[in-house]
Amino acid sequence: MADRRRINGPVGTTNPPIYDDAPEKQSEGVKVARSRPANVIRRMYLKTGVTPSASGSAYLEIESSGNGGSGLKLSCSVHGPRALPRSTPFSPHIILSTHVKFAPFATKQRRGYIRDPIERDLGTHLETALRGSIIADRWPKSGVDIIISIVEGEQDRETSKAQGIEAWDTMNALSGCITVASAALADAGIDCVDTVAGGVAALVQDAGDDAAPSIVVDPIPSEHEKVLAACCIAYLPTRQEVTNLWFKGDLPASDMDVYTQLIEKGIQASKSANRVLVDCLNETVG
Amino acid sequence: MASSQHVLLSPAELAYLHASLSLTPPIRPDGRSPTQFRPLVAETGILPGTNGSARICFADGTEAIVGVKAEVERTRTRHDFPSLDESAEDDDDLDDNQNDVVKGDNDWVEMTVEIPGYRDDDAGTVFLSAMLSEALLADGEFTKRLWINQRFHWKLYLDILLISPPLSYPLPLLSLTTHLALLAARLPRLKSEGDEDPLFDDDWAAAPYLYPRPSEKGSKATAPAPAARPPVTLLVMAVGNNIIFDPSKEELAVADVALAVSVGESSSSTTSTTSSKPTAMDIDTEETKGHNLRLLSVRTIDPPSRLTPPGIPNASNSAYGANAGAKDTEKKKQQQEQARTAESEAVEGVWKAPRGGAKTLVMATMVQKVLEKGGVADEVLDALDGVDLN
Repeated sequence: MADRRRINGPVGTTNPPIYDDAPEKQSEGVKVARSRPANVIRRMYLKTGVTPSASGSAYLEIESSGNGGSGLKLSCSVHGPRALPRSTPFSPHIILSTHVKFAPFATKQRRGYIRDPIERDLGTHLETALRGSIIADRWPKSGVDIIISIVEGEQDRETSKAQGIEAWDTMNALSGCITVASAALADAGIDCVDTVAGGVAALVQDAGDDAAPSIVVDPIPSEHEKVLAACCIAYLPTRQEVTNLWFKGDLPASDMDVYTQLIEKGIQASKSANRVLVDCLNETVG
Repeated sequence: MASSQHVLLSPAELAYLHASLSLTPPIRPDGRSPTQFRPLVAETGILPGTNGSARICFADGTEAIVGVKAEVERTRTRHDFPSLDESAEDDDDLDDNQNDVVKGDNDWVEMTVEIPGYRDDDAGTVFLSAMLSEALLADGEFTKRLWINQRFHWKLYLDILLISPPLSYPLPLLSLTTHLALLAARLPRLKSEGDEDPLFDDDWAAAPYLYPRPSEKGSKATAPAPAARPPVTLLVMAVGNNIIFDPSKEELAVADVALAVSVGESSSSTTSTTSSKPTAMDIDTEETKGHNLRLLSVRTIDPPSRLTPPGIPNASNSAYGANAGAKDTEKKKQQQEQARTAESEAVEGVWKAPRGGAKTLVMATMVQKVLEKGGVADEVLDALDGVDLN
């Protein structure tokens, strides 16, 4: 028996009406093209020691794009090194645990409080990147927690509804996570072989039919017609070593040169980020 | 985590293994050549209730089953899709239009990985499934195969089960099994036309394959997507300058760096159609023989070697008189310095977990070895051709 006392909504789902004006605006060329040179990363602001209760912390902010979107804002806190609970088996090394979490309001689509697969995946990447830089055998039987919250994700108001862009944004988020976590680790005084920083490079195609694909560092996906491939690299500049490499895209196997160039540009982006990181740490010490 | 499960090897064993793997040519514990894979048993079509299924059993006893299930789902209309009435207006070029209209969405594929003994939200399991689905969705062509019409699409569920305990890092096994299951997957033949509610043929024998066979020319013409085969993810590791494929658990325990490289293949017939795409600028050289490989994704895998216990050189071992008789401070200081160098410098024959990352050159060579003509990816794809798909 249906409930007659109340006015019920329709059975089943309906889609909210969406008014069809945005695509026209896009075709008019409202999109802001990339104004930076191809090998320059966006400006970033990095500060360590922002959370007094943590043993190390850092905050990173990356400038937003020209499309009226939001930049990336990350805050990282490091707790430890501290003794592991008695129940855990002996470990000759420090045990890293990384948590990356988008704030529920960080992206266009609301994120829940439970970490979703993308966040867990980012956490694994971050762990790989950091484990290479930490001198883990100086702290046996201890653990350290690295917690990153992405306060504001990088999303453009106009273009994020177009598909497939979120996937490329995770790479930018990861590179930010690596840089900020490295700063926080240094702030916590945990011994590292070098400061590791993240860098992203992408093979993009700009608007226009005959435009050849080009490689840019620190890409903003919405500024380009299409992203063909991208890579995120965590690099140790003094040792000239890569601790984490994440490449994604679609490249013909005959184009190994493009792949090599992409990696080189990623390293270059990482070096630029590292300069900011080292300056920031010097400022804190000095 | 799946890759860093505990390896019960002593520092001395690890040092021995590392030394033998860094010889030229490397000597592997099971006597394989560096590019040789473990023997495996594969079969497809084992689960009648699925759209496609496969089982692979490696010689070391690890075994995986993959089932592919498809459901029809209503497509949520997005306003950036070309509107319906637009294509209805010019009915005569509908056929030309249709190829442009075919669009996929990454939400149409759902992949779950189940590894016994691990929670399904364990970081390692999530990493594995992210890696496998990333490779599958990388070129954006796969989801186009799931398009039925503008209102409906197939939702594909890929359930990957490791049924043995994870004796070695299960990535290559899971990837190969998924590859075979997708090759064997079939979707019912569509009887309805245009944007009607979809109606399918009851005859399962008439169901076309999700990835059309090269021999079936007719079905290929209607298939919109070019990629001829699902991707394969290979595990590669390096010890020193030696590059070793399909490492076993013990070999992975001494790896300096481990990479997962996903490789796809696009059929040679589509190279001409994609030549408008700028990446295909130098594929004009027609390659009828061999595979037309594409690099889809590369990921560093945290090698479990970083978690192995270090050995102690005699110089700093008190059992060998390292600190004995260190009465005066002068001597003590000297010995402390010695101990410090022992900590940072490698001592011959004493195992030390690798520190830092990998040289870029080594990483580039690893990827190149996978992709080069007649390389490992070619071999693996050839070998998978031999599996009977029923």
